[in-house]
Amino acid sequence: MEFSVVVGGEAGQGAFSVELELTEILSELNYYFFATKNYMSRIRGGHNYHMIRIADVPVHALSGRKWDMVVALDDETEVRHKPNLHEKGIYLSRELTDKIQKESRETFKDVTSSNTIMVGVILAVIGVSLEKAVEAAESGNGEYLKKGFEIADRWKLTGTYPIEPKAGDHCKFDGNQALAFGALLGGCQFMAGYPMTPATSIMHYFATVAQEIPVHFEQAEDEISAINMALGASYAGVRSMVATSGGGFALMQEGVSLAGMTETPIVITVAQRPGPATGLPTRTEQGELNFVIHAGHGEFPRIIFAPGSIDETITLARMSFELADRYQIPVFLLTDQYFADSVQIVADVVETEIRKRNYTVFDNTYKRYRLTEDGISPLTFPGLSDALVKLDSDEHNEEGKITEDLNLRVRMVEKRLKKFELLQIDFVPPTLYGNKNASSIVLCWGSNKLIVKEVIEKLTQEGINAAALHFGQVYPLTAHMVAPYRLAGTKLICVENNAQGQFAGLLKRELGLDVAHHVLKYNGECFTVEELFQTLKNILR
Amino acid sequence: MVQRTDIAWCPGCGNFPIRDVLEKAFQELPIPMKNIVLTSGIGQAAKMPQYLEVNYFNGLHGRSLPLAAGIKLARPDLTVIAYSGDGCNYGEGGNHFIHTMRKRLDITILTSNNQVYGLTKGQSSPTTDFAVKTALSPRGNQNIPLNPLTLAITMGAPFVARGFAGERDHLTELIKEAILFKGTALVDILQPCVTFNKINTYQWYKERVFKLEKPLTDRYEALKMADLWGDKIPLGVICRNDEAPCREGKALLRAEITEDDIAAQLNMRCVMMR
Repeated sequence: MEFSVVVGGEAGQGAFSVELELTEILSELNYYFFATKNYMSRIRGGHNYHMIRIADVPVHALSGRKWDMVVALDDETEVRHKPNLHEKGIYLSRELTDKIQKESRETFKDVTSSNTIMVGVILAVIGVSLEKAVEAAESGNGEYLKKGFEIADRWKLTGTYPIEPKAGDHCKFDGNQALAFGALLGGCQFMAGYPMTPATSIMHYFATVAQEIPVHFEQAEDEISAINMALGASYAGVRSMVATSGGGFALMQEGVSLAGMTETPIVITVAQRPGPATGLPTRTEQGELNFVIHAGHGEFPRIIFAPGSIDETITLARMSFELADRYQIPVFLLTDQYFADSVQIVADVVETEIRKRNYTVFDNTYKRYRLTEDGISPLTFPGLSDALVKLDSDEHNEEGKITEDLNLRVRMVEKRLKKFELLQIDFVPPTLYGNKNASSIVLCWGSNKLIVKEVIEKLTQEGINAAALHFGQVYPLTAHMVAPYRLAGTKLICVENNAQGQFAGLLKRELGLDVAHHVLKYNGECFTVEELFQTLKNILR
Repeated sequence: MVQRTDIAWCPGCGNFPIRDVLEKAFQELPIPMKNIVLTSGIGQAAKMPQYLEVNYFNGLHGRSLPLAAGIKLARPDLTVIAYSGDGCNYGEGGNHFIHTMRKRLDITILTSNNQVYGLTKGQSSPTTDFAVKTALSPRGNQNIPLNPLTLAITMGAPFVARGFAGERDHLTELIKEAILFKGTALVDILQPCVTFNKINTYQWYKERVFKLEKPLTDRYEALKMADLWGDKIPLGVICRNDEAPCREGKALLRAEITEDDIAAQLNMRCVMMR
């Protein structure tokens, strides 16, 4: 059993509050759910909508089927979403939500409590008992929820879509929270940033926790400053991160190159939104893969992760700091608005062990860029010992001093690029869904992971022989990553949220794989399960 | 010891005496050398750290200040000095210059100000005087010069000073005072460029500079003094405000996050979409 509801309204009307409060209570009551949002780049007005899917099994995507319930806080909701309401579905029209607001004003002398009343109505619809709902809600909200349950009774909605709470112990995260949380587990203690949707809530998270734990967040005057501050902090010995979106990352590029040349560890989160330029500031896309792979002038190694689930985000964010340290390179976390703003529960136990860093000390013969067999020089930080730590953005000698010795230049280039060899064997393998010997394999990366996973399950149920391979590491792509699979003789379909099939291009370039079908979406919205299922069914039939 | 022949500056460059002054100042300061960190950008002046036995991060053009801010925020125990030229600190890094003052960190900003782009061979810099002919302004510079001192005072910098490469002892004391000052300190250093600036020579400066007897503490008096240029050029601490609050960074190094810290975060509510 499952139930999907959309709450639509103008920005500032409370649709988001409904989502926030509902998901909070659902989590408290151990319901499986998935929630995401579609919002405009404005503070008030316009039309935003919040979509919540509740089920008795784990769900991690929008179903894309007709809505079971539509809640209209504005007239636009009727135009946009009512046509997609299931014929037997519940429609809380503008008139009805106005009634709720009126009743809220009359009973509680407050219109904002109508959000909680609507949460009460939805909870009654899925068969939650009032007692449990009140217990799970924030204290002081009980009366409002009770009113919601009363209204549901009056309108004969109670228990019309009963869902059992089947989730056990779990944690609830949105994508950005998971990323920030993983970063903390990775020992990240410094973040600098300039606000930019959809990355800003990562900064918000850091700024909030910095009040209580040994972490610093600095709001910079621009993204150039942000990445340079983070590199300064990293040089000083503190694991550091920046987060931005495509436009802000464009400004950070010189800093990426600086990290490459000075071999300063840094983690860079790029939460994608549709470009070029300002694009669609609050919508989703996977259009920056090529940009991030090529960002920064010059040749130097990097790793790019594109996690697709909450647990994978936590794991990879944590790992990013380890790898940035180990190889002294920039490591990227490439996410997108859809993932950043989607709230999900993760049933697995979240590991809370923090990675400790070793602070090795040296004497005054220390050379920051000592030439070693594997290209990795010992790393230390200023002020820990007599070792002076000298970093130079110019080509430099082992000591870190500017050089124009062209033979040394060659050795230094090779030193930096040698790390690519190590990355051939140190990688995060892709995740397989379905039978690895399937005649067709759907390839995906980043946030499409769990949408594709559910689609593969549906296809398999219908007797269609297909599997999926999700890449959480998108760069470098190495032959070892795909060695366990027979991709060469298999029909490959690549699913991406961009117009040019960037990942398919990368697979061709790096691994020589030919993708037979591109499934691309670039209108600023994520795929839904139903939509992708129909598309793939047509291709595979 | 640095071999002078390895140094990329022109013979007679105003940066040589500044280098000697810095070396002397570091020796005389009650700060262990291992705790001093220099950041710099790009340009002839920005090569300064290369010629001193210190920790340094010689970064990108214009970015010495954000590097310095990041280091100081992460490691308050380090003495952080940003060193670059006028093109780097006031041109390419002009925005950072303005905003670094607002950050109120205990860092020292030193600028070799020679009023010309040296490394790129003789173009106007942000401090080139109006109408001066330069490589890319053959009819004369059409921009009026940026005054780093009045700008810094306006932005609330609590320690604003000017030194001169031709007054070594004075400059040594000035730099030491700036480093020991608790707060953001700027020392703009008049540095003759013997190759590309034939106007603002050692001689030209010597005829014009005068030393302030004591620091000015009134911001508006200081602004008037900082505005002086041409016939009379003041040297010394032009503005000093010991009352200005200085921001303390958090000691993050080896102050690691604990599992309890993490566990407390697990129940955090979602933040509003941004």
